[in-house]
Amino acid sequence: MVRGVRRVVAADRAQRPVHLYVHHTAADAASHVPDLITGEADPAADQADLEAISDWAARFSPAVAPDAPDGLFLDITGVAHLWGGETALMDDLLARLAAAGLPARGAVASTTGAAWAVAHFGEGFGAPGAQSGVIVPPGGETAALWPLPVASLRCEAAVARQFDHLGVTQIAQLMALPRDQVARRFGAAVPRRLDQALGEVPEALIFRRPAAPDVARLSFAEPISAPEDLARVTRDIAVQLCARLETRRVGARCFTLSFHGVDGRARRLEVSLALPSRDPASLARLFAPKLETVDPGFGLEVVTLVAEETAPLTGRQVRWDPGEEGRLEDDAIAPLIDRLTNRLGEGAVWRAAPFPSHLPERASVSRAPLSPAQTPPQPERWDPDHPRPLRLFARPEPVEVTALAPDDPPRLFRWRGVIHRVRLAEGPERLAPEWWRAPFDAEDEGESELGARDYYQVENEAGARFWLFREGPYRFDRPARWWLHGLF
Amino acid sequence: MSSPVPLGALRAALAALDGGLKDARGALSFGDARLDAALGGAGLPLGRWHEAAGEGLEGETGVAAGAFVACVAARLANRGAVVWAMRRADLYPPGLAALGFPAERLIQVRVRDEGQALAVLEEALGSVGVVAAIAEVAHVDLLAGRRLTLACEAHGATGFVVRRRPFGGGAPSAARGSAAATRWRVAPAPSIPAAGEPGLGPPRWRLTLERAPGGRSGDWIVEFDHGPYPLRVVAELADPLLASPQPRRAAG
Repeated sequence: MVRGVRRVVAADRAQRPVHLYVHHTAADAASHVPDLITGEADPAADQADLEAISDWAARFSPAVAPDAPDGLFLDITGVAHLWGGETALMDDLLARLAAAGLPARGAVASTTGAAWAVAHFGEGFGAPGAQSGVIVPPGGETAALWPLPVASLRCEAAVARQFDHLGVTQIAQLMALPRDQVARRFGAAVPRRLDQALGEVPEALIFRRPAAPDVARLSFAEPISAPEDLARVTRDIAVQLCARLETRRVGARCFTLSFHGVDGRARRLEVSLALPSRDPASLARLFAPKLETVDPGFGLEVVTLVAEETAPLTGRQVRWDPGEEGRLEDDAIAPLIDRLTNRLGEGAVWRAAPFPSHLPERASVSRAPLSPAQTPPQPERWDPDHPRPLRLFARPEPVEVTALAPDDPPRLFRWRGVIHRVRLAEGPERLAPEWWRAPFDAEDEGESELGARDYYQVENEAGARFWLFREGPYRFDRPARWWLHGLF
Repeated sequence: MSSPVPLGALRAALAALDGGLKDARGALSFGDARLDAALGGAGLPLGRWHEAAGEGLEGETGVAAGAFVACVAARLANRGAVVWAMRRADLYPPGLAALGFPAERLIQVRVRDEGQALAVLEEALGSVGVVAAIAEVAHVDLLAGRRLTLACEAHGATGFVVRRRPFGGGAPSAARGSAAATRWRVAPAPSIPAAGEPGLGPPRWRLTLERAPGGRSGDWIVEFDHGPYPLRVVAELADPLLASPQPRRAAG
């Protein structure tokens, strides 16, 4: 909307000619074309889409600059030969855009201004079947610009209207006017734009660049190889990178230190943290044991440190005195977890979490030792009513059991060659296998019953406790198999 | 004859000569005067490391000693982080939860060998935020023990060593010197179920205090308890013959 009145911002190419133009009021347009379909203009989304298209266009040239609201500049100096010429490059680009539903007009010229002018105001576009790309030969900008209106020089709309009022409709007429008077009357921008279009004054474009990675680099005057030198440069580069992270107020979780030697090989060391951090001292300490594995060879010339997986990290007051009844602060033990994880390996440090499962070996899962802050408290808890052993064997061990009657707890059992007499026993606790985990087409009946276990907690005469289970229900035709699963 | 010296001053001089409890960071009481007295008055000294061992098959499985350590460390777990380093990862968290230990807050570490276990224990004890650390090793020699003591004194954390040979092997050699503040021997003891109820009673262990500051020792039968103290002393054994167990206290 412009000044409270809905105006047309863009109109697409219609199948039959209609008299719609930009800045036409919406009411007027609707009266001209009864079945007009209107949509709300969204400039922010359009800008985002334009940036996405310019990112895509990077496949044609590394130097792409978006030109709001609906154009792109590509600097194809030196890349046209990859497509076999400028014509082929432009045809490929316009064809791909058209296939994506974006009919476009393109122009190639030696200067930015000439290309823009020809693409926006040039002749020969619009009619179906006409060429969709124009190439201005080098040195032919003047000839190409002559018939174009003054607005094609990218000066302001007010200035262009003034030229129209004066009858200066073509750039050829503008070039015939005395320059200093034009500059005095209409501003210095007009002659400058003309000079830029003709190539006499350089023009700079702002190209889109990917976000700079967080890298710090140090190079040495002489190759180093001594271990204390490696430690020293690790500390120095950590300080440098962490200072840069601090200016951006981010911390990183993954750091890669690379030593580049005179022989051209790169030695990489990696450190990953549980919580994002930018503390150079702890980082150097984490790298210290890994530096011993670096083989300097004939010497190391350059060291780089790259930080990845950055996350916002604000400054925080660190408590150095935990106090008497301090809570379990994850931040306080994060350095310890990092040191242990980086020295022993990722799977060596964990915390247990309850998992809803009947089978004892699946009732506890390991998770990362430091939980992220957004994890809600676990609703499941281990059931305190059912006895569970302190030590659980990964593989249950077979035992020989003497039991009087079905479902009676054992009276006597032999484990590892030692006979234990049972004094007290509890049970049975039947844990059925999880039917949802078995394949549906398990053959013959009774198959699922075989997996059920009857657990007994028994205590022998000395007081030691064992967790035995019988596999499957009691069957009179074959002896039951008993196993020892854990010790209390 | 010199003038009579007050008894309190003599006791203070003896305690200073002991040299073990200077800089103690408090103590964990067991709720029983006899056990606390044998440990030096107030209970198990914190800010030190303690050793618990078993005999026979316990030397390989480390169940009773582990349960004793879990009961004691459960009272400390709400003040900070607890780290458990082991060579054989067969610790079952629901079993820990049954002993009153908040198992979902325990940080478990699996190590490859003894040296790594002691290194992890020393590092955990010296870290801010850790209130107790437990390691399962076969033996702690005097030098390593002295390092552990120094690590404990850094932040006042309490260390526990469960003597265990997780993969079998020969019987341990005769007891060598140890730098632990207290040394225990834990064995299972027969439990007594509540009157008239089938099944098992609360688990019981026989604790033998082999070495404590002050050179005292003792034998007790303790029972697992849900109360404020880690274990409830059922009987004190003055001699190898079993004394009659005390009747259970009414709840509340």
